[in-house]
Amino acid sequence: MAHDWQPDLEQLLDEHQSMVFSLALRMTGDRGLAEEVAQDVFLELDSHKGKMKSPDHARFWLRQVAVNRSTDALRRRKVRGVDLWVELEDGHASRAEERLSPVSTRLEHLLTTLPEAQRAALILRYQEDMLPEEIAAALDAPVATVKSHLQRGLKLLRSKATNHLREFIRGA
Amino acid sequence: MVHEEMDDFEQELKQALQRRPAPPSLKRRVMERRVQRRSPSQMVWMRLAATLLIVALLGGGLRWGMEQREERRKGEEAKRQVMVALRITGRALNQVNTRLAAHDRGGE
Repeated sequence: MAHDWQPDLEQLLDEHQSMVFSLALRMTGDRGLAEEVAQDVFLELDSHKGKMKSPDHARFWLRQVAVNRSTDALRRRKVRGVDLWVELEDGHASRAEERLSPVSTRLEHLLTTLPEAQRAALILRYQEDMLPEEIAAALDAPVATVKSHLQRGLKLLRSKATNHLREFIRGA
Repeated sequence: MVHEEMDDFEQELKQALQRRPAPPSLKRRVMERRVQRRSPSQMVWMRLAATLLIVALLGGGLRWGMEQREERRKGEEAKRQVMVALRITGRALNQVNTRLAAHDRGGE
């Protein structure tokens, strides 16, 4: 079917770079890798521009591909035996990170320790404010599976957070 | 669960997962890589064109060779047919010759 919308890469970058980078950062836990993934995602979008039907479709596609490419990047890293989850807070920390409360910072770190599927579901739910049905479409998974990932992920994160915050309070 | 109101923990998680600004270099790097990527794509087209040219030349050469072989085969066939015709004609002439000689002997 013909569609009139003509995507412009620069405009899409301006609109969605923060979303794509944040998804990649939360999925990989590594700023450098997240930036690489984000670049790759936008270049892939540039190659598939003709298939984008609307701004909403482009945003959906970017979310989906950002999560998938992050997962791919993590698997490649695991194959190469590189340690993960080390760079969420590094010298390039942004002002937004500096504004985060210690609890939020810890939660963000703990999130990176969850299994990939649970992590992806939680990130899409709480970063992107997506409904389980939308997450299911983006992850190409049944809604029931997504709901289960959300519940289990939240439960696991809550329990990890309780233990860590107890240590945090004791250490303070 | 998800449609229900978020509890404090979920609110805290939502707060923790606010979008981060992308590095300022991200857009520039994407645009640079996009330009770099176009050059290799031109290379790909050139390679494709060169490959097609080589294939066309090889195909043309092959066809020319086949046509030459076919011409040679037709020539050989024509030569064979001429030889057969000559043999038949020679035999017929010999028979005529023999009959004429016999006729001459009968007449004497």
